[in-house]
Amino acid sequence: MSVMKLLRLRWSTRWAASLTLAAVCAMAVPVRSIADDGADASADAATAAGPVTEEITDQHLPFVYTEWEHFTTADGLPHDHIFTVKADGNRVWVGTDNGLACYDKRTGTFQSWKEEDGLPWRVVTALDVDPKTGDLWIGLFGGGLARYSAGRFDHFTQLNSGLVNDVVYGVAVENNHIWAATTAGASRYNLVTRNWEIFTEKNAPMEEIWNYGVSYNDGMVYLAVWGSGVLEFDVSTERWNMYLPTDGEMEINLYRDDGIVHVITTGTSYVDKILWISTYFGASRYDGRHWRGYYAHETGLPNDFIPSVKGRSANEAWFATDQGVGAVVDYPTDTWVTYTRNPVTQRGQAVIQRGERVLKTVELERCLPHNFCNWVEFDGDDVWVATSKGLARGRGTGYFPRLKAEPSLDRDLVVGADAAPSVISD
Amino acid sequence: MNRMVIRCASAACIAWLLCAGLVAPAAAQAPYASHPYFVGNQECAECHRGPGMGYQQSLWWLSKHAKAYTSLAMPEAKEIARLSGIPVEPQDSPICLGCHSTSAESEDWEREDAFRLQHGVQCEKCHGAGSEYMDESVMRSREASLAAGLIIPTKDDCMVCHIEKGSHDAVLGPSNFDIDRAWEEIAHPTPRRWSYSKPPELPANKPDLPQITGSQACGECHAGPESGYQYSLWLDSAHSNAYATLATPRAQEIAREAGIKTDPMVTPDCLKCHTTAHYEPSGGVQPGYQWFEGVGCEACHGAGSDYSPEHIMRDSRLASLAGLKTVTHDTCLSCHENAHGKPFDVEEAWQQILHPTELPPPVEEPRYKTPQNLAFHPSGLELYVACEAANAVAVVDVTSRSKVAEIPVGGKPNDVTFHPDGNWAYVSNRLDDTVSVIDVMVREVVTTIPVGNEPQGLLTDREGNLLYVLNSSIDSISVINTRSLREVKRLEASRNPWALALSPDGSQILVVNALSRIMPFRDPPLSEVTVIDTDRAVVEYRREVPGANLMIGVDWHPSGEYGLATLNRTKNMVPMTRLLQGWTITNGLAVVWRDGRVDQVLLDEPTMAFPDPTSVAITHDGNFALVTSSGSNRIAVVDLQKLISMLQQATDDQRQRIIPNHMGKATEFVVKHLETRDSPRGIRIAPDGRTAWVADALDDSLGIIDLDQMEIVGRVDLEGPREITQARFGERLFHSGNNTFQRQFSCKSCHPNGHIDGLTYDIEADGIGFNPVDNRTLRGILDTAPFKWVGSNPSLSRQCGARLAVFFTRIQPFNPEELAAVDHFVCTIPRPPNRYRPLGAPLTETQRRGKRLFERTRTNDGRVIPELGRCITCHPPPMFTDRQLHDVGTQMWLDTEGVFDTPHLNNIYDSAPYLHNGIAKTLEEIWTVYNDEDKHGVTNDMTKDQLNDLIEYLKTL
Repeated sequence: MSVMKLLRLRWSTRWAASLTLAAVCAMAVPVRSIADDGADASADAATAAGPVTEEITDQHLPFVYTEWEHFTTADGLPHDHIFTVKADGNRVWVGTDNGLACYDKRTGTFQSWKEEDGLPWRVVTALDVDPKTGDLWIGLFGGGLARYSAGRFDHFTQLNSGLVNDVVYGVAVENNHIWAATTAGASRYNLVTRNWEIFTEKNAPMEEIWNYGVSYNDGMVYLAVWGSGVLEFDVSTERWNMYLPTDGEMEINLYRDDGIVHVITTGTSYVDKILWISTYFGASRYDGRHWRGYYAHETGLPNDFIPSVKGRSANEAWFATDQGVGAVVDYPTDTWVTYTRNPVTQRGQAVIQRGERVLKTVELERCLPHNFCNWVEFDGDDVWVATSKGLARGRGTGYFPRLKAEPSLDRDLVVGADAAPSVISD
Repeated sequence: MNRMVIRCASAACIAWLLCAGLVAPAAAQAPYASHPYFVGNQECAECHRGPGMGYQQSLWWLSKHAKAYTSLAMPEAKEIARLSGIPVEPQDSPICLGCHSTSAESEDWEREDAFRLQHGVQCEKCHGAGSEYMDESVMRSREASLAAGLIIPTKDDCMVCHIEKGSHDAVLGPSNFDIDRAWEEIAHPTPRRWSYSKPPELPANKPDLPQITGSQACGECHAGPESGYQYSLWLDSAHSNAYATLATPRAQEIAREAGIKTDPMVTPDCLKCHTTAHYEPSGGVQPGYQWFEGVGCEACHGAGSDYSPEHIMRDSRLASLAGLKTVTHDTCLSCHENAHGKPFDVEEAWQQILHPTELPPPVEEPRYKTPQNLAFHPSGLELYVACEAANAVAVVDVTSRSKVAEIPVGGKPNDVTFHPDGNWAYVSNRLDDTVSVIDVMVREVVTTIPVGNEPQGLLTDREGNLLYVLNSSIDSISVINTRSLREVKRLEASRNPWALALSPDGSQILVVNALSRIMPFRDPPLSEVTVIDTDRAVVEYRREVPGANLMIGVDWHPSGEYGLATLNRTKNMVPMTRLLQGWTITNGLAVVWRDGRVDQVLLDEPTMAFPDPTSVAITHDGNFALVTSSGSNRIAVVDLQKLISMLQQATDDQRQRIIPNHMGKATEFVVKHLETRDSPRGIRIAPDGRTAWVADALDDSLGIIDLDQMEIVGRVDLEGPREITQARFGERLFHSGNNTFQRQFSCKSCHPNGHIDGLTYDIEADGIGFNPVDNRTLRGILDTAPFKWVGSNPSLSRQCGARLAVFFTRIQPFNPEELAAVDHFVCTIPRPPNRYRPLGAPLTETQRRGKRLFERTRTNDGRVIPELGRCITCHPPPMFTDRQLHDVGTQMWLDTEGVFDTPHLNNIYDSAPYLHNGIAKTLEEIWTVYNDEDKHGVTNDMTKDQLNDLIEYLKTL
């Protein structure tokens, strides 16, 4: 048995003892308003201020996306291998293995760009929109960075600019700066002065320089670095903080909730002061003081191999894995919804779990177009999922955050007019 | 940053690394052990003084080198600076200081506290920063001292500064500098049997008396123009040389004649009148005092320790009580009377050493107005005019048609606009990178808003909520909240956004960009009209205008269906062999339709071009467009119905391929030409729609056009000087197409604002179809001869004279008077301030690292870089060019030569593309793409972050 497996076994055994208590707590946790916006009921519902209104039971269920649409090259996408998706008002930008696309929600049509249309490089791995200017920033795998602004592509490479490397995995807009996570460090481009900064092991606490992902929100930039955990850059102080497994010498965390679960991180998402982290060996949540680790065998994560994460609130985050999407939808109760596709029947399934205990399974006529998921994007109540074989949109009609007591499944698990009826089973 | 902290930190890091076994203590690492700093001439003099060292320090003190800084206080220096486009005090200018001082390129932390910039060209200017080699133990070994940074200069090193400079020759006359003779003059050999000499002994202290602070302490305040350059005047005087002269043979002869047998430099009898300390009793000397200051301020004014504090000096009575002496003729006579048998005229000497605090008012050049753009107050009663040369906005009463006020604003105001409520006016200041906000009621600037580099056009949205400012030299648009007066966002323009216009419904702003996008090598220009959606304040569209450049004027048709923009169509892709039939440059308009279509039409006619269309205004009824031609002093009146009808009747192919180049079409829609005064630029229709007003920039006046008669019916004199100086005459010639065959273009057509058009040209002189060359800036050009990329023109007069006529203008060349005037004007085009390092600002850490790379002598792995492989060898400060030809490995298939002139690097960030043929689109590409053999400096060992550092430093030059 490999060391990894041994260690994982050790966590499982160790955690099993504590799980009982945790599960009990979770099942009977009093919450102030379980359908509140997550921003208000952030870290620990058990200690949240305010009146206690009711206890969580198995009849408290989350919203489940049952109405899914699929988009492929047949719909106008330039390629079916989708790396990333970014919603921007009526537009949804899509990065694929061979081109960029923009979905117009008003017309339901795609416009796409390949290299022959001016896109500087075929593989689009990352997208972000500058909220001030509306300009789209494009991470190109092997092709550097591009800006799409009102029909014009500007191309930044390691040869013609200060970009540290052309293999760009992630891109994020931070105020007047553009961050690029690359295979040889991170770059920060100042849109006002046109200056470039490079962050590597020389000037940042990067034990490795292979940057997989970058995200920005609320004054904080987070870099997911392969083998170097997560780096936090406080924009106001320009200081770095580094999150690694607490052991310091191991690439993994010995105790699940001590720190980040693994040093090989892939994505970050910071929302409502909560940092959600994906790794290739599980996921983590950090509230600034407490860590919580997630593994597939004890949660609704379809697998521990997680290319990216998107946080929706302090209580909800969606993890794109190579075996479907796992969404922790109510953090205090550890309630999950797992979306997968049956490759044989091509039908889908949404499984509602509390911890590792399955509460309900919702059979879906259609769910994800493919189980290998690369990216998740929220678009109001809707959700977009980038997979290796097409793009999916989950319609969030009637969406509610967290849980509802005995939601009317007929009402809450809405079936769209153009979708097949869902089948609900225990 | 504290130098010692850096040194200690470096040492600590290295020690730690060595302990950790991470760094092999190889010799290759030694050069990085510490950062050398400048110690100042006094430190050198500790050893290099007195007879045992051949009086080396005295020789230097008496040389012109020691007075190099003080010479910058002379009126001639100001004139030289003006001719070099240097808009700051010479004693503050890094370019001037680069040759007139030591360590001008260094930061404060790289200088010992006792180091004084005012001591001009000191030992370390030629021998290198001395901190690492100054120790006696090092200096005793030539090998060790060289390894520690001691430089043994060559004559080539001298020529970096002493090379002929047009600006200096123009003011001081030809220098006829002979390096061999100069080499002998400054010779300061160390005697073969050298020995150390002790300094003179100080006289006994009188503890009750004030102490001598030293003249340097006085110089802390009594420097610069605001103090009449007093410290410089003294440094340049015989008084300051008084001690050093004791080292001369004549001094020793006098001493011998007086029966003195000791070295005069240590003999109290000599020192009494040759130093401050011995002149009269004092309470001793403070650490800042130096023997070498000779007869310093305190010799005459008394020891200063008690009166030198500023608050005492500001009160003459207090200062007097504290010991500041009133100097009389007797003060002078105490030493000079019958001194060494020399006659002494105290009155004459008194006049010679006068050093009043206040300078006589300088004789200023006439200050013109140069109106650029104008805006009507919403009421229509007043017109504001941005007067670039006057740093002011002229207020014109529309009713009386006269100037009624002038409001001082920032440097080089270019455009002006009003808030819709009429209470505020906004002015873009091109030199200062700011917008002045004028309170219209009181006609005063109430605040200034920082924006991007070289702001040009500006206007508000229809509601007046947001102000859009075009930052021309950084290709962006500042969006400013007019309530908070803060920039809320910055939009991306194309290259050199220049002018803008709001659509009649207020929903869109058209922005025209002066320069083409940077295109692939040998691709024709492609300009952009940037369309802003004012609801969201974002760029909505980018309309491409193929083949066009210099789009600098724009207006909307009142229907809102289209806008008109001025343009040039520069045929830079074909050899410049003739001008006939629009071969080289044509001039016209773009019709930018709301649906995105762009038409182009020419305003040229087959035998009479319309050079430099600059601004356009469309009448309120939409019938006519008035277009100014700054190069021909005309306004074209365009019948828009005819223009649009002509376009609509044409086929798509005609609109795309034929009409944009058709020189016969203008006669179909240009119904009239109006003659203006010199260089008409901005033009606006009055709010009542009855008149149009045009800024005749180089006439300092406004023309008024009656739109019913379509005639110029009036003129507003902006009250500029009547005298036409040589520079003004040259400016008019520079902007005139009259000196070009069929008036096709002017100098400005390729050098807008004296800068670049970003294009590559194929000039006939070196063969048709060969040697395409990138256009170079004229800013700060005078002292960078030779000219042309192959360096074949030794002077500006050669560049702008017959050669220009033969290969460019194809007409009679400038006559000698005109040529001199054009040259003079070109020289005075100011260099904009460096945007990446404000004057006097320290370098950032990134820039500091880049500077080390720029000056490095070894590769990352410790190999010595050959001298020609170092950046600083061919780009030495202060001009950052050695003005030589070099092969940097950039010869391409179209080039017949492989060696090219070394360009200067001042404000290099602002003149893309790069290399002789403009093939490098960015600074990075110079090294990442076009330096694969390390011929353009050894750079291929650099990591990406090092290259970034280097580039960040280059931007500061």
